[in-house]
Amino acid sequence: MQPYLQVFKITILEYLVYRLNFILWRFRVVLSLLVIYFLWSSFFENTKIILGYSQEQMLTYILLAGLTSNFVLASRTQDVAGEILNGSLINYVLRPVSFFRYIATRDLADKLINLSFTIVEIGLIVLLLKPLLFVQTGLVNYLLFDIFLLLGIGTAFFINLTISFIGFWTPEVWAPRFIFFMIVFFLSGAYFPLDILPERFYNLLLLTPFPYLYYLPTRAYLGISTHLIPFYLIASLSWFFITYYLCALLWRKGLRGYSYYGR
Amino acid sequence: MKRNLRIILLLSIYSAKTSLSNWFGALLFTFGKLIRFGMFLGLILLLVNETGAIKGYNTNQALVFFLTFNLVDTVTQFLFREVYRFRPLLVSGDFDTILVKPYHPFVRILFGGMDLMDLGMLLFYVPLTAFVISRSGEISSAGLTTYLILIFNAFLIAAAFHILVLALAVLTTQVDHAIMIYRDVFTIGRFPIDIYRDPFRSIFTFIIPVGVMVSFPAQALFSLLQPGLIIFSFVVCAVLLIFSLALWNRALKKYQSWGG
Repeated sequence: MQPYLQVFKITILEYLVYRLNFILWRFRVVLSLLVIYFLWSSFFENTKIILGYSQEQMLTYILLAGLTSNFVLASRTQDVAGEILNGSLINYVLRPVSFFRYIATRDLADKLINLSFTIVEIGLIVLLLKPLLFVQTGLVNYLLFDIFLLLGIGTAFFINLTISFIGFWTPEVWAPRFIFFMIVFFLSGAYFPLDILPERFYNLLLLTPFPYLYYLPTRAYLGISTHLIPFYLIASLSWFFITYYLCALLWRKGLRGYSYYGR
Repeated sequence: MKRNLRIILLLSIYSAKTSLSNWFGALLFTFGKLIRFGMFLGLILLLVNETGAIKGYNTNQALVFFLTFNLVDTVTQFLFREVYRFRPLLVSGDFDTILVKPYHPFVRILFGGMDLMDLGMLLFYVPLTAFVISRSGEISSAGLTTYLILIFNAFLIAAAFHILVLALAVLTTQVDHAIMIYRDVFTIGRFPIDIYRDPFRSIFTFIIPVGVMVSFPAQALFSLLQPGLIIFSFVVCAVLLIFSLALWNRALKKYQSWGG
């Protein structure tokens, strides 16, 4: 446990070294959130309900999705692709620590830093813009939010790692990640709740892992149909395990053929 | 001028060859950009069709704002792609070898890496924008002319911003986040600037003139822009250009060769 605690501390300290970089990164995140917030606010100026959502539900969704997406997607796994390509991966696999736990610890530190900043930023947005927000009173919704969030974090972690493992076979690692992020921002519900999409498309989307990353936790907070909860739970768990096994499979296969000189 | 253009062309051919040597990656990035474009387009169509209008703009008008944003953004990236690669030149000391060349450094570090992928995207955006404008009801020739002039004005403002980024890079050796912040701030223009509440709207119009670059041309096209604001656009452009060039000259005087 001790080595991972040190990794956790070092990852946090790294952010304190590159403070300006981190502040600028957070500025960019806030800016993106504000664009979506203002877009939706403007749509609600002339109408009370849009595609089944009231203004308070929609703005709550946008802000909460902003919070959860930061927590779910914040990751250091993208570094792995570069480490595979430049050979520094060798340094990790030779050490008496689990590579997956090492990366997961770095990810956790990254997520906690991002989450704490996001809470402050969203708090400031709420204070400054004073939006009408929906406050959930049902404890079950909070419990479902937590469960779906944890599963979403796990699934996103394994997907991110899987994309990085492409580096075992090709140096072209940034373009797949770029495409993944393009898709994930839309199909995971960063810009809008997915159930406003045409029903057939929405149902198809539920067969992919994207809605389970942060749309579902956020939707669970706002409230979801009780009879669909078992389906969502089974689908979330399935994607968690599918991505885990795929990630582990690629890691084993990749590592078997991996060699690097000069390290 | 003619000689500089020939050098820019030559450097762009080299840049295109480099891109094509990794054609699969270039294809994937272009595909990613198309996905992003398609998804935003879908979102705008879905929402404007559902609500009737966005801040009083109908579907076609909202699309013109969005397409104008894409046009300005893509031309800017096409022309000034080399700025994204400036930091390695600077920290490695290779910038010295550019400064001693018998042409203006901007030929290499500002225009010297025109991006073939963005040119491909432009071949898609330009006809699409023209088509949507042609379907946007009555557009006066004065409106269309002002639109084109303000788009050109936006390119000049973008050039000023990129020169500012280069100058800041020389002064601080940091450029990566500066250019990405410019990109993120610019995404504000994806939708009409009217959707933002004050003081954000004023900041993005008068201090960081994204509104001037994207929303003003589209508003001028629909004859919704006051003449005073058209003049204001040119003033903003001139001030930014003068300021960025002055900062660049100052940065060059401070430059001590960081790497090498």
